[in-house]
Amino acid sequence: MLLNGNHAAAYGVKLARPKVVPVYPITPQTPILEKISEFQARGEMEVDIMTMESEHSAMAACITASLAGVRVFTATASQGLMLMHEMLHYASGAQAPIVMCNVNRTIGSPWGFWPDQTDSLAQRDTGWIQYYCENPQESLDTVLQAFRVAEKVLLPAMVIHEAFYVSHALEVVEVPDREVADRYLPPFDPPHRLDPEIGESWGNVVNQDMFYRHRKTLGRSMDQALEAAIEADSLWQELTGRGYGVIEEYRCRDAELLIVTMGCMAGTAREAVDQLREAGVPVGLLKVKLFRPFPVDQVRRALKGVPGVVVLDRNFAPGTGGFLHQELKAALYGLEGGPAVHGCLAGVGGTNVSPTKIAALAREAMGGKPSVFPVWKG
Amino acid sequence: MCAVAKEIPPVWTTGWTEELSTGTWRSATPVHEERPSPCKNACPAGGNIPLWIQQVREGQYHSAWLTLVANNPFPAVTGRVCHHPCEVSCNRGEYDGAVTVNALEQFVGDLALKEGWPLPGPENNKDARVAVIGSGPAGLSCAYQLRRRGYRVTVFEAQPEPGGVMRYGIPAYRLPKEIVAGEVNRLLATGIELRTGTVVRGEDLDSLRKEFAALCLATGAPRAKVLPQFNPAGGRVISGLDFLGRVNRNDIPAIGRQVAVIGGGSVAMDVARTARRLGSQVKVLALEDGHNLPAQAQEVQEALEEGVIIRGGVMVREAAEEGGILNLTCDKVVLDPSAPPGVLKPIVIPGVSFQVSADTVILAVGQDPDLDGFPVRQGENRVIEVDHCQATSGAGIFACGDAASTDRFVSAAIGGGKRAVLGIERYLEGRGGNCGGEPVPDEVSFKEINTFYFPVAARVERKAADPVKRLQDFREARVALTEEEARAQAHRCFSCGHCLKCDNCYYYCPDMAVIRETLPEKLYGIQDRYCKGCGLCVEECPRGAIVLKEVRR
Amino acid sequence: MAYQFAEEKVFCSGHHACPGCNAALAIRYIVNTLGKDTVAVVPPSCIAIISGPQPLSSMRIPVYQTTLEASAASAAGIKRALKARGKDHVNVVAMAGDGGTYDIGFQALSSAAERNEDIIYICLDNEGYMNTGAQKSSSTPFMAYTTSTPSGKPTVKKNIAEIMAAHRIPYTATATTGYLDDLVRKVQRAKEMKGMRFIVVLIPCLDGWGVADHEGAKISRLAVQTGIFPLYEVEDGRKYTLNHGPQGIPVEAYLRRQKRYRHLTGEQIDEIQRMVDSDWEYLRTKFDS
Repeated sequence: MLLNGNHAAAYGVKLARPKVVPVYPITPQTPILEKISEFQARGEMEVDIMTMESEHSAMAACITASLAGVRVFTATASQGLMLMHEMLHYASGAQAPIVMCNVNRTIGSPWGFWPDQTDSLAQRDTGWIQYYCENPQESLDTVLQAFRVAEKVLLPAMVIHEAFYVSHALEVVEVPDREVADRYLPPFDPPHRLDPEIGESWGNVVNQDMFYRHRKTLGRSMDQALEAAIEADSLWQELTGRGYGVIEEYRCRDAELLIVTMGCMAGTAREAVDQLREAGVPVGLLKVKLFRPFPVDQVRRALKGVPGVVVLDRNFAPGTGGFLHQELKAALYGLEGGPAVHGCLAGVGGTNVSPTKIAALAREAMGGKPSVFPVWKG
Repeated sequence: MCAVAKEIPPVWTTGWTEELSTGTWRSATPVHEERPSPCKNACPAGGNIPLWIQQVREGQYHSAWLTLVANNPFPAVTGRVCHHPCEVSCNRGEYDGAVTVNALEQFVGDLALKEGWPLPGPENNKDARVAVIGSGPAGLSCAYQLRRRGYRVTVFEAQPEPGGVMRYGIPAYRLPKEIVAGEVNRLLATGIELRTGTVVRGEDLDSLRKEFAALCLATGAPRAKVLPQFNPAGGRVISGLDFLGRVNRNDIPAIGRQVAVIGGGSVAMDVARTARRLGSQVKVLALEDGHNLPAQAQEVQEALEEGVIIRGGVMVREAAEEGGILNLTCDKVVLDPSAPPGVLKPIVIPGVSFQVSADTVILAVGQDPDLDGFPVRQGENRVIEVDHCQATSGAGIFACGDAASTDRFVSAAIGGGKRAVLGIERYLEGRGGNCGGEPVPDEVSFKEINTFYFPVAARVERKAADPVKRLQDFREARVALTEEEARAQAHRCFSCGHCLKCDNCYYYCPDMAVIRETLPEKLYGIQDRYCKGCGLCVEECPRGAIVLKEVRR
Repeated sequence: MAYQFAEEKVFCSGHHACPGCNAALAIRYIVNTLGKDTVAVVPPSCIAIISGPQPLSSMRIPVYQTTLEASAASAAGIKRALKARGKDHVNVVAMAGDGGTYDIGFQALSSAAERNEDIIYICLDNEGYMNTGAQKSSSTPFMAYTTSTPSGKPTVKKNIAEIMAAHRIPYTATATTGYLDDLVRKVQRAKEMKGMRFIVVLIPCLDGWGVADHEGAKISRLAVQTGIFPLYEVEDGRKYTLNHGPQGIPVEAYLRRQKRYRHLTGEQIDEIQRMVDSDWEYLRTKFDS
């Protein structure tokens, strides 16, 4: 099927069969909501869509619906995600395995509608699993993977793709059969839930020790999510032939420099790598798909012995720079024979970053010393 | 961090707060406690008024009557003639009008006579014999309470019929004679020997003491007081007691057209209204001002309705007969407010004297006991000195009623008779010590009543018959309450200090610390473990039957 | 006139409400009337404290503690999920304070009402942020002292019952602890209906209002009897029924019993009296139609 990223995600949601979808419209997420509503109207989805008055309430309803024991989905973007911030923490604290699509869009002010990952990356510490997707097919597949992982480790998961480049770009997408999806995703039936037959309450005031232990439990769940994500991806590959890994290494053999990036920038970088390899420059691509939990071991393995790395961040945290750049440096800390890490702020605010430009940035990095400060590269 | 703490899950709950103790927060504890109502404390006969009114409310009339007669064998009498201090003290008086206790008592008393309910007799007979001298309310009350306890009782009465003031003093329009007869006969039927026409004098006591283990003097106050300014001449000045006694014996004296009654108490009103029924025009001359007569307000009101002229603040200076008419020279007076209680000290207002003419003057200025020759000590007030068990200075001799008290009320006499029995019983059983005297909880005050639970409801009293018709004969002047009226009035009772098991304490506890046992009867308990001592149950108790007591740790 | 309530034993002893707490009293009758087939949502408030502490619950039903602004949305989420699980018969009740209802939770509440969510929303209204030490909320009445309005609040209390009735939800009612039978009846009535049901329960806060431990219910009655807080119910935003209205008692009888009003001058009391009279004149016209 020819589908844009949002509709592809919606197809993924349909296959996952969530029972409750509280949602609030926001550009550029709205087509996901519209498509699900359409599925419901056509009788293709048995789902209760709650037309909330805000993203905050949408997430509030997601949490309780999930705690009451049903599969829950929602979608948002940008300001919506900002408004949810409080509830994102609440969701992970409640260990509610909600899956949410976030369509990356610049955060105001000023107003903009452009692809920029800062909205979701700024939520990296909220206790959500985060997947960054390169294209519509990956978004569809990842929605299903995210449910499998989230429900296994009892943490919420965000499936993220960028505005317009993915959300509104049409590509050929293979929609798996319902049987495949059902085999992949068992029904959600948590043992602890809000149910008079069980009678347990959730969230009473705790003492310091209980809170401490609860945070440790969350951390353990997040740790387990990595393994669960790997398992979920390989099973998906078994069933559909498509797998992504938690990271993807592209033409990394003997590379002297690896381009590291996330989301649709990976697609562009792939072309740049091909160009450079054709020109005899030993450059590869490391795509980080799973950002939370951060796949530290996998990244360290991939970069061990590689002389240089250039990180392309379509996001910006004032005062530190690119999120991925910082994360990567932290991940590599103490790695013997680790690479020199160059960080480039490229495509912030949705500016166009072409394969040629990426190739140029790679060549530049190979010849220079990395800066500890953010480097703006358009 | 201990090992156990580690096992407590930080998010989903595992149990209930019932395992926590909040009772340790408490500095006071509610206690369900039956407390005296003001009416009960005020009742001279010690009647359990809240209880029997509750029984009336529930339609348990026989139970109500049994509760009444535990303390007073004459509810149909007192239901008419009691001065009902219970109503004066009734907490509902501060709200929307006192409960008509007296009318309710009459309702129950009349019903018992109509139904012919017998008084409970003794459970076990005892050998000891007790003589009671006098068959007025005090003597008969004493005899009845003795009989209930199994004693063999003989009552001596100088008059041909028993009943004393009930029969010979109070006029029939206030207290019909068949009511008196009914209640007295019912009382005697419990097995009391009555010897009428038998005068007991002081010198007879020694021989009686040989025959009887104890004696009780209840000879009343038959000696009318006189005033020096009236020189009884030609029968134009008579005593109220004689007058009422003759009328009650149907020996109607000739009193002429103009009658002056001297006095302002109940007897004065009885005399005046009786004289009106005999066709005379009546002036009452009282020392007290007209608004503060010692007679009950209702009696005064009814006397006025019947055409009695009452002149208060009047003292007769002298009385002179002239041409078959008594001319009374009267002064206007005020009573000295600095005089000790019970003492009337009139101050003459100069220059405003006036004349009153009368065919007959009837003196109703009080009466004293006739105790000449009785071997018991008397006080300055000319009544027999008794302790709180009604024991006199003579061994085994007790006294009650007007002979031993200046409270000249039928119900006070009934109470005295009952009290004497407590003393007699102790004496006969060889026990010393005091009668009663156990500490009782504080009386319930109006501010302890939660009036939210009592919708305003009008006090309804017995209606008086038409005054014109009233004057035609000696039929009863007031119309008893109907059953419906009685039930409605009984519903007005706050039941001060008496738990009615309404469950308010149970329902109003935010901590579910009040428990309610249902078997064998409903009882409340306080769970010490949870009660925080807030006092909400105390506040929400409609009737002051719970008190908050300080916790001492 | 003894009360008789059919309580299911949901609310437990041992909770940590203050002695004499009227919120705890109200909760008792709310959850015990709704019964065991109920899930409750509670935002931060005294109610949250009364619900706990972890790992213990004072209610033998699932209670979910949400964020301050989200009660109505959280309750709606539970109801939708229960329905999806085939448990539509389970009551879902949100019990929030006035801050969580009139102020920060109002958006979610209004929207849930507009969607006619099948939930019961009960505001335990103690006229301020009492759990944080008595600050003003939009429910705080005119001239009442709070720690954030030390000279008395200069503006009037928001009329939440009328606002909710204006949403034309199936059921809106006012209630208070001094009229337990009325409260129980309203909760029972709400339980038997479907759709959005809203009850605002006036809860005298002993500490926040400056009232003796035993006087909560009494004060709440004075609020009704003076006309400050009439008890009524509204069906579909249209059919108004008065349950307990003013009884000619001057507002001063109510105000003078509370420390939060002790600074009032005679003129201010007169002004409050006029406002209460005027509000009642306006409200009473709705009962006629």
